Amino acid sequence: MTGPVHGGRRLTGSLRFRLLAGAAVWIALALALAGLVLSGLFRDHVARRFEAELTNHLDQLAALIELGADGAPVLRQPLSDPRFRRPLSGLYWQVGPGEAPVLRSRSLWDEALPLPPDEVADGDIHRHSVVGPAGRQLSVLERAVTFPNGTAPLRMAVAQDEAELRAVVADFNRVLWLSLGALALALIAAAVVQVSVGLRPLVRLRAELAAVRAGRSKRFGGDFPREVQPLLDDLNALLDHSEEVVVRARLQAGNLAHALKTNLAVLANEAEGEAVARRVAEMRRHIDHHMARARAAAARGLPGVATPVADSAGALARVMEKLQGGGQSGGRVTVTVRAPREHVFAGEREDLDEMLGNLMDNAMKWAGSRVEVASRLEAGGMLAVVVEDDGPGLPADRRDAVLAPGVRLDESTPGSGLGLAVVRDVARLYGGDLRLGDSPLGGLRVELVLPAAS
Amino acid sequence: MRLLVVEDDPALARQLAERLEGEGYAVDRAADGEEGQFLGETEPYDAIVLDLGLPRVDGLTVLRSWRAQGITAPVIILTARGAWTEKVQGIDAGADDYLAKPFSMEELLARIRALIRRSKGHASAEIACGGVVLDTRSGRVTLDGRPVDLTGHEFRVFDYLMHRKGQLVSRTELTEHIYAQDFDRDSNTIEVFVGRLRRKLGADLIKTVRGLGYKLEAP
Repeated sequence: MTGPVHGGRRLTGSLRFRLLAGAAVWIALALALAGLVLSGLFRDHVARRFEAELTNHLDQLAALIELGADGAPVLRQPLSDPRFRRPLSGLYWQVGPGEAPVLRSRSLWDEALPLPPDEVADGDIHRHSVVGPAGRQLSVLERAVTFPNGTAPLRMAVAQDEAELRAVVADFNRVLWLSLGALALALIAAAVVQVSVGLRPLVRLRAELAAVRAGRSKRFGGDFPREVQPLLDDLNALLDHSEEVVVRARLQAGNLAHALKTNLAVLANEAEGEAVARRVAEMRRHIDHHMARARAAAARGLPGVATPVADSAGALARVMEKLQGGGQSGGRVTVTVRAPREHVFAGEREDLDEMLGNLMDNAMKWAGSRVEVASRLEAGGMLAVVVEDDGPGLPADRRDAVLAPGVRLDESTPGSGLGLAVVRDVARLYGGDLRLGDSPLGGLRVELVLPAAS
Repeated sequence: MRLLVVEDDPALARQLAERLEGEGYAVDRAADGEEGQFLGETEPYDAIVLDLGLPRVDGLTVLRSWRAQGITAPVIILTARGAWTEKVQGIDAGADDYLAKPFSMEELLARIRALIRRSKGHASAEIACGGVVLDTRSGRVTLDGRPVDLTGHEFRVFDYLMHRKGQLVSRTELTEHIYAQDFDRDSNTIEVFVGRLRRKLGADLIKTVRGLGYKLEAP
């Protein structure tokens, strides 16, 4: 049942899958968007901080540079950041009238910042991106300062390795995506829990449905959420309706049968005689036959009905033993029933009583001293009730004949029994059958195959 | 033997009563459950024929009520409800036999005879006392193998005493069991029937226990 062919359909056909897939897609999209925005904001922020720091360094540099006695620029005192003194530290400055520096930070060692040719107005700050010492990409801020003694303006530049900026941003992004990933997992886990809790009534509904189908309960009970309850109320109403229809139909058929039978009894008594008696018996058989068929046809497929074989067979055995009274031959027949409680017929008690009653009654008529009734489970959700006696049995070539409609095993014995053919009819209406065979007890063995309630 | 027939169909009730009376039974009739229940509670019947689908009170309810009160008269249910489920219910309610309509009158008679015989403690269909034998199936009486002719009333008295052979039967009990409810009872006529029976079957068969009643015993 759960082969790979059904796999795809089962997955997309599952409410749980749909809800979870939807939640996962939305969570992923929302978190990805949030991640992109956060990462962008952070990068901008860090870039601004970076630039503010460089501007700070540039301002400090400008403040510390003065012209010496020879008119050359002199640094009054070292810049405060120690990185300017550590070679190739990534933070540099240089001062010079043109592209070539006159003064530079120790960190530059003997290299120079490759400033592009530029004219910077007083008070402006220009930004460049250049490849500096050791081939590193540097961010450069530059301003021009003109001293009052009228020489050419000095270009003052500070530079910082962009790798620092990138490292900070990369660090942040790594932490950001890791946390967002964790958040996504947590949200999906929450969604799984939510879907399970939300769908639990449906799981319960399935259990209830199985119980009704198996005949363990007659109606859907219990408290279900507002969204599901109307469905169940409708289902219960439907069950009520079909049961009502069946009950009414049966009642009418029963009333008709009763009226016919009482009148038949009066007619038969009024007109004594063999021919009339036979006709009356014939008519009664027709009525019983069609009643039994009508009952079973109406009951078939009605959910929620189940009858333990033991109940029916036990009650019938009790009645049979009592009714045989001082039987014709005087010898008493004992009836043994072996039917475990879990062998349950998926149908009406009345129908099982009628079928088993006829089979057992028949067996009682032919039995020498014992009748045995036993049930067993068969393949395909069926069960078999076996009725055996130690009577003379029935030759194989006559078995088809007794299953023909309207034929009784013993036409001469008066009684209320339907023929085996009717029992078989009713069994077949339920999707079962009737099989005849030889009993190890010596007599006839009748197997009544019926659907079992799961 | 006195019977109660509880049957609401008037035609069938009449047929049953006529046939049963023809067989030598004293028959009371009730047309609904209420009346039937009352009669069953107040009169000593030897057997009761009970329909199930009765007006006022359902037959099964009537039967359960009798059994709950300790009324042990054998009951045969005669009904159009012939399904096995209904038979089980009937027997479980306390019925001794069950016959579905339409029925054969002979079958009903045979079952009533068997019920009465068994309820009085006789296993065999023939009841013998000394040289006198009553075949309950045919109602034939023989004395030393020769058939004896009895009139209807003689048979009723003999039939009851024979079923109760060896036991003391008071005159009241005898009267109650051989006459229907609406019959004008005269206990002196019992004396007359007993006298005739003694002439036909032997003077010592039925003993008079002074002031108490009769006893049928092998001489």
